[in-house]
This record gives sequence, structure tokens and C-alpha cells, in this order.
Amino acid sequence: MAVERAIKQFERDRKEAARIAARLLLASGTTSPRVGGVRECTFHIIEDDCDIEDICHKIETMADDNKAWKFFKRDAQMLRDADLIILITSLRSLTDPSDINCNMCGFLTCEYMQEREKFKKEDKSIAFTGPLCTFRAANVAYALNGIVSLARQLGIDFGVFWSAGLAGMRLGMLPHDTGFAVGVGISVTEKSPFRDIPIDYDKYNDRTMKDRIINRLWPQFRSIYS
Amino acid sequence: MAKKKMEDLVKAGLERAVELMVLAANNAWHFGGKHTLEAVLLDDEEMEEMANYALSLGDMSPLAARDGRFALELMKEPWAVIIFGDNRKSPFNYDCGACGFRTCKDLNKAETVESLTSNGPACVFKTLNLNMAANAAAATAWRLGLHCRVFSTLAFAAKALGYMESDIVVGVAVSAAKQDPFFDRHKFWTKEEWERIFNKEFPTFNRGFIGAIEE
Repeated sequence: MAVERAIKQFERDRKEAARIAARLLLASGTTSPRVGGVRECTFHIIEDDCDIEDICHKIETMADDNKAWKFFKRDAQMLRDADLIILITSLRSLTDPSDINCNMCGFLTCEYMQEREKFKKEDKSIAFTGPLCTFRAANVAYALNGIVSLARQLGIDFGVFWSAGLAGMRLGMLPHDTGFAVGVGISVTEKSPFRDIPIDYDKYNDRTMKDRIINRLWPQFRSIYS
Repeated sequence: MAKKKMEDLVKAGLERAVELMVLAANNAWHFGGKHTLEAVLLDDEEMEEMANYALSLGDMSPLAARDGRFALELMKEPWAVIIFGDNRKSPFNYDCGACGFRTCKDLNKAETVESLTSNGPACVFKTLNLNMAANAAAATAWRLGLHCRVFSTLAFAAKALGYMESDIVVGVAVSAAKQDPFFDRHKFWTKEEWERIFNKEFPTFNRGFIGAIEE
């Protein structure tokens, strides 16, 4: 199959579409409702291939930090196929409870909640140094659904990964006040990289298939039969 | 003679819109496998009771009282309020620590702390699912051209009155009023009230030059 000029052009335009879409999704997320003040959520578009790889690599290494995080290895492979990642933060959930005594966190009042000792950042088996303000999670939800609902309308494939948010936090890519973060992978491809994921995806994926079947066997075949 | 009047069509349309909003919430993107979301639509009597209850909380929460007063006003034109709820426990097994417990198991084992507003401690991702559903419902209302606003106060009141058994709740109010009633709600605060509160909250706003002599 020849890679024609027109196909190369399509490949370039496809990536450009993802970049444009990401900015529109950022707009939708930014203008989604907020409760309890603003400067709560920020959005960060990660579109450089090296930055995406940094995040994916970090997600992979974090998989060993906690038994429950085995699925991080799968997340990393899915995100390697994404065109870009949008990270959503919550700047107030850690430091600034909403002060409405809603009891979602279970401490009855925000004052009691703030007195409670938080998990240590150094403890790598903990993702978010809770207890966080649970009421503030509403803002992340609105931001996230702002992105998701527009992505659905635009026909952009998306996947939501809290592992990516955590990786962004640990890599220092996000504002320092961030207490909670989630990532949204964006893809403009014919087959969504976020659906139909086989088990052991970290072992069996586009890259390993290409490596094992083409890169490994085809040169050997050429060497022997040429 | 027309078959149906505008008033009846608007009312019927609103009922249909509410169904579509709950449908959108049901199908909203969420974390984990099957969602455990619940939703109820209050009838007229319940809405009035909920509004009066919120209004009665004036001493505790001026905001709840304002929203109660506001809800009573909304009842004069076609409107509906959907209360979404979910249970506080985590089925995800993420062990992320955001709730303040080291593992999901610990959170689920923790004693439920009941209050009028919510029963904690709640899983943060469950709260995300709940509010994303609310946002999906609101987004649907927006696309249908309806007036819409998400309320915690009214949902807390509905929970306190026992209309919703869930641990965590959020309410989505939707209206087919002739003017968007959810924003610029000046009439619920008098000018005097507004000025008093503004001066209390931002005392230095009207301050003149600091170097000048005080009157």
C-alpha cells in the first residue's frame, strides 16, 4: 500500500483536527458550571509527543505503587495511541473546603474536616492526599462532562483516565495547588483507541504486535530468503 | 379553533424534556461499570413542601432560604425539579486516597455519618459520577432551549424530607418560564440587603485614598 501524498495530507489534517478539537473541548470545560467560586479548575493540553510519552511512562511506573493500580499499564497503552491529552485540575479541593458543611466527606463540618490529618505526599501508594473536599468534586464533574458532552457532539473519541491526572501531578506539569486531577485522552482516528481493549493490553497492543510480528520477523525473513 | 393551546403544549413539552434529561443522565459517561444512580421527579405537592422546608432554614443558611423563596416563585410557571442521588460507597477499588481512607474497602467499612444534607464519607469518584449525570441532564436542557440550573440546596431539602434515600444528592431544576428565571435573581434581595452584605463582605471597596483624613 503506497503512502500517497493525499494520504499523508490526511494524516496531517487529522492531527490538526485533534488539536483544534482539544481547544474547543477546553472551552466547553472552562465554561461549564462552577459551584463555590472560580479559579477551581484549570485545563492543560498536552500535545507534544514527548510530553505524552512522559505521562504514559509515569503511569506505567506508578502501576507498581499500589496493588489496585494494575490497570495503569493498560491506561498507559491506551494513552500512547491518543493524539493528545487534556488534564483537568481542582485547585481548591485540597486546600479550601467549600465551607457549606455538606457532610459528603463524613466529617459533618468543614472545620472538622480541615483538622483531619491528610495523607503524606511522600506515600507513593496514595494518589490524592485526602481527605479532599468532596463537594468540590462537583466542579471537576462539570468540567469533565463539559468536555465529554462536546466531544460526543463533535464526534471526537475520548477516554477518561485519572491515572493521567495523577501522572501530571507527580511530574509537576500541573499547578502546585492541585489536589485532584483527571486526564482525558482525545483521538481523531477511525478506530477509537479507548474501546475494544483486550485483556493484557500492555502485552498485546498495536506497538507490541508491530514489534513482534513485523520488526522482529520480517527482517529475519528477508535475511534468510533474499 | 386550534387543536391545542400553547400553554398545554409547553407543559407537555416540559414533561418530555424531563424524560430526555434523565435519559441523558442515565447514559452520561461515568467511571466504573454499571452506574448506581437514582433519580426522582417531585410532584407539585412535594416541590412546594421542599421549597418551604428550604425557606425554613433561613437562620442556618440564607442561601437555602433564598432558593426556597425562589422555588416558590418558580412554581407559578411550568417547572420541574429532578433529584439525582447515589450511594456513598466505592465499587471501583481504585484505592486512590482522595476520600481520606487508604483503600476503598476501608471507606466502605467506615461508619456512615448521617446528616440532613448528605451521608458521608462518600467516594470522590461516586460524587463525580453523580454530578456528571446532573451536568448531562443540564446540557440536554440547554440543547432543548430550556432554562436550567443545578441546585444543591433544593436537593438537600428533598433528601431531608425523605424524597430521596440516597447518601449524596444533587438537584436539577428546569423551567419553561417566559423569561429565564435562574439568573439575575435581583428581586430576591432588596437593595438595602444587597448593600449591607456587600459592605460587610468587601469593606474596603468604597474606601477612599488611605492617606486622606477620615471623615
